[in-house]
Amino acid sequence: MKKYFANIWGTITTLKTGMGITWRHMINIKKDNVTLQYPEERWPRPERDIGFEHEDYNVIRSRLHVDIDDCIGCLKCERACPVDCIKIDTIKAPTRGEDIPDIGHTGVTENGTNKALVVSRFTIDMSECCYCNLCVYPCPEECIYMVGGPNSPKHPIDYEFSEFNRKDLIYEFSKPLTSEQKSELMNPKPDAEA
Amino acid sequence: MTVDALMNWFAKLGDFPELAFILAVLICAVPVFLFIALYALVAIYGELKISSFMQDKVGPMGQGVGLHAGKWGLLQPVADALKLILKEDIIPTSADKKLFILAPFIVFIGAFIAFAALPFNQNLIIADMNIGIFYILAVSSLGVIGLIMAGWSSNNKWSLYGAMRSAAQIVSYEIPAALSIIAVIMLTGTLSMQGIIQHQSGFVWGILPNWIIFQNPFTFVAFFIFFISGLAECNRTPFDIPEAESELVAGAFTEYSGMRYAFFFLSEYANMFIVSGIAVTAFLGGWQSPIPGIFTSPAWGLWWFMSKAMFLIFVMIWFRWTFPRLRVDQLMNVCWKGFTPIAMVNIFGVGIWHLMLG
Repeated sequence: MKKYFANIWGTITTLKTGMGITWRHMINIKKDNVTLQYPEERWPRPERDIGFEHEDYNVIRSRLHVDIDDCIGCLKCERACPVDCIKIDTIKAPTRGEDIPDIGHTGVTENGTNKALVVSRFTIDMSECCYCNLCVYPCPEECIYMVGGPNSPKHPIDYEFSEFNRKDLIYEFSKPLTSEQKSELMNPKPDAEA
Repeated sequence: MTVDALMNWFAKLGDFPELAFILAVLICAVPVFLFIALYALVAIYGELKISSFMQDKVGPMGQGVGLHAGKWGLLQPVADALKLILKEDIIPTSADKKLFILAPFIVFIGAFIAFAALPFNQNLIIADMNIGIFYILAVSSLGVIGLIMAGWSSNNKWSLYGAMRSAAQIVSYEIPAALSIIAVIMLTGTLSMQGIIQHQSGFVWGILPNWIIFQNPFTFVAFFIFFISGLAECNRTPFDIPEAESELVAGAFTEYSGMRYAFFFLSEYANMFIVSGIAVTAFLGGWQSPIPGIFTSPAWGLWWFMSKAMFLIFVMIWFRWTFPRLRVDQLMNVCWKGFTPIAMVNIFGVGIWHLMLG
């Protein structure tokens, strides 16, 4: 009989303890919360210094970038790409090696090459890219390269590549051209040629 | 009360008593159904949020771009309900089709008709029967027939196990629940829900409101016995062995999907409200204000009843996210060796206390 009441008393007190624990967690949710509302809140990013200088450690494969002013439209990277995520369209420039300020086209690259082509489209679909780095080696102007690694001075680290829309993962590097500008480049007027 | 008022009103319009009765009942039934649906949305939202808070999470939150669940995830239960309504209604080939289709509605009717005798305030009660509390206790166990139908007709081992456990549990826990209600009836001398509440007006012990839970130590114990037995009757954790998702998938509801599953879900939440409603009426003064004499208008009555009932539902949710599930033998031990003898002693205790001190 004594054990029976001791059991009941034990039940009541232990249940009270358990309920106290959940109650404390519930009212302290502001403090104890472990969930991050991801797109709005993020974990703090670790320091960029990993003990290497960027030059010593620039093979980190984070994200492709193209300096479009240096691109001569040779399509070597497009051919090298094993997953065909690079798409390049080119139009013959009216005069070789001359700037076209209307569309932001520069005639001469940093290496001194005169450009014969206007790159009208240069897109990299980062959802397809396999980060193999194979497009970087053939580039004669060294204008396509991986960026965003630790210590990279030029570009911010983007380790997520997360977008709300899948189309936003197609990175457009060429200068935007309207269809009139394109047709003007493709069919140069006779007096402009003269 | 509401049904009577409507029937009197119809009687003034013309002499058609049978039609007037059917119309009055239907007019009362629609708002009750809407109330259950609305309350279920609120309760599901509360359950999601409270369970998350107790586990140091934030629960459904609507942040970010695109389709989301609104501010603080307020639209989450609406989305859940829409999903359940739009889902495919699957009937297994080997199921007993007629019973399978009928079962969720019988379970729901068991919960639904009990609302007829719940007093929401001084005037708002669909039918103030002179056997109100007996009626609720009787019809709320109708659901067990539906559960057994669901379990048997599904032709599935999980379903049958769940239904059998559910039947055993509900039938067992009816006894301590009814015995502790008897203690209340001995004090009030009436079975009518409004009569029980009217008995609880004024003060007791000088400062406390004259609720039955405060009237003597035995009714204080009876309240907890009734509340926990009620918890077991609506198959809530820690007495959720009929559902026991970690062992029986979903118990009797395993084979159900879409709309029919939604009805089981709805009746589970409706049962929670009924248990809270009886506990509030029988022990916590119903629509009586906690400070007797002030805030006594019918609007305040509705507020007091709803806030007390919702508090008890919060306690149920609190229990669910705190306690582990009982084993079958433990469950029966608690009922037959714990609650039933104590409830019996309570009846004598209340009687003796009432004779000596009342």
